[in-house]
Amino acid sequence: MESVLSIKNLTKRYGRLTAVNNLSLEVSKGQVFGILGPNGSGKTTTLGILLDVINKTSGEFSWFGEPASKEMRKKIGAILETPIFYPYLSAAKNLEIVAEIKGAPKSNIEPALKKVELLDRKDDKFRTYSLGMKQRLSIASALLCDPEVMILDEPTNGLDPQGIAEIRELIKQIANEGKTIILASHLLDEVQKVCTHFCVLKKGNLIHVGSVDEVSKGASSVELMADDENIKEVLSGYDKTLKVEKEGNRYIVNLEDGVTASDLNAFLFSKGISVSHLVTQRKSLEKQFLELLAVSDNA
Amino acid sequence: MLRLLKIDLIKLTNYRAFNVLNILYAVLIVSIPITVIEFLKWLKVKGAEFDGFDPMKIPVLHFTDIWQNVTYVYTFLKIFLAIVIIISVSNEFSYKTVRQNIIDGFSRVDFLKSKLATILLLSIGSTVLVFFTCLVTGLIYTPDLDFGDVFTGSEFVFAYFLDLLAYLIFAFFLTVLFKRSALTVFMLLLYRPIEGTIIGLLPDSIDFIGDYLPMQAFSALIEVPFPRYWFQEIQDYVAFDAVAVVILYIVLFVAAIHYKLKNSDL
Repeated sequence: MESVLSIKNLTKRYGRLTAVNNLSLEVSKGQVFGILGPNGSGKTTTLGILLDVINKTSGEFSWFGEPASKEMRKKIGAILETPIFYPYLSAAKNLEIVAEIKGAPKSNIEPALKKVELLDRKDDKFRTYSLGMKQRLSIASALLCDPEVMILDEPTNGLDPQGIAEIRELIKQIANEGKTIILASHLLDEVQKVCTHFCVLKKGNLIHVGSVDEVSKGASSVELMADDENIKEVLSGYDKTLKVEKEGNRYIVNLEDGVTASDLNAFLFSKGISVSHLVTQRKSLEKQFLELLAVSDNA
Repeated sequence: MLRLLKIDLIKLTNYRAFNVLNILYAVLIVSIPITVIEFLKWLKVKGAEFDGFDPMKIPVLHFTDIWQNVTYVYTFLKIFLAIVIIISVSNEFSYKTVRQNIIDGFSRVDFLKSKLATILLLSIGSTVLVFFTCLVTGLIYTPDLDFGDVFTGSEFVFAYFLDLLAYLIFAFFLTVLFKRSALTVFMLLLYRPIEGTIIGLLPDSIDFIGDYLPMQAFSALIEVPFPRYWFQEIQDYVAFDAVAVVILYIVLFVAAIHYKLKNSDL
């Protein structure tokens, strides 16, 4: 895989505080790479260093195998934290500045605005925009140079559910065009829904790297409800059951690898029990994340 | 450099305070000679008696005196343009747009250059306006015009340019240091009395240092011209060493801004 970003032993200290500690990472072309971590774990600091707005204390990083330079940044579409624009300028003027800086043709401005559905508001001043519109405008600005890589830092922060869904759609659409996306978030659900790979940071330390698919593999658990007094015994009696737990009026059954809810259903049916509720629970990133954090706490 | 100037101008020409302050400044430049003339006329009309002397004959606005007189007065107006620069730079910090500019593909030096380009443009524009205002005023009011004398003393326009340029870069430097516009304007206004106090406190043996402090060095470019009207000796030329000191300060300030930008997290 072609390497897009390579970080080696990156460290940033603010006095005694170590914001990023000896971080090494690789991001390959075409990945949607999620950087997860609680608030203050060093996500934004790391991205700030990669984009040269924060000076690193030590370590190395390279974009496309070359050391960082302003020419490299012109090929990256990036948003850090909140959308930043000149509030007294219209969206079109703001994007004109970005296009001039990036050396992108001005003819890219209209299609970018159209993609985020802001074309009819392009002559309105940025300060009149709602938060969702501001977020969309910053995505438009990141798209101006037709970037190889997009860096998004908490892109759905502060948005309403509809806004979150819109931004998510947009990210998926951009990812489908084969662009590499690096996405920092503390919303696990968001990372699970859009990312292919992820890493977890905690207090500046890298505690996990892997693919999102691996998380949902492995042993699955099934949630079910049935009107039968002996249900717990029957469930425990199934030879592929690992564990049964009662949660309210529902039962959570952990099954062996490769055993599915339909296998369990068939078994119950054969015992003359019909279930009124049956759901396969995917192991979520959230669980994995909390586990990882807990493990690192004990370490 | 032109591309960087263009980018900074997109930011500024759509900003109302920038346009208002510039227009105000230009109006002041043009109106001062007119006001002086009107004042002299008023004195005459009111029949002020100067032992039979006609106030209109005081050669304040005549060639060759006009160049030094008017440019000297104009140096007091530079605070207007300094405020323009302070707003332009402090906005970038308070809106965090300097950070976004760099994320988008500026280097820190590009940012520095784009602001310097605007400072240079304002200085040149203002100098051209001053030059023509002096020229036209002098042509109108000089009696017995001798065309050989017209440009004698016009080197003060260059001195005015240098003084303004150095002052604006000093304002840029203060803004990079203090970030907030109100605080920076306050510090800029406060700096002169601070320098005055330092000069006052210097022991006699090293008081020559006082002449080399920035504001003192800038004002040495155009010495006070008016005592000549009560028959005192004045320095009616631009001193070479004053020019050299101011250029040195410009270089120093730019280097300091560069150092500060390079080493800060934005």
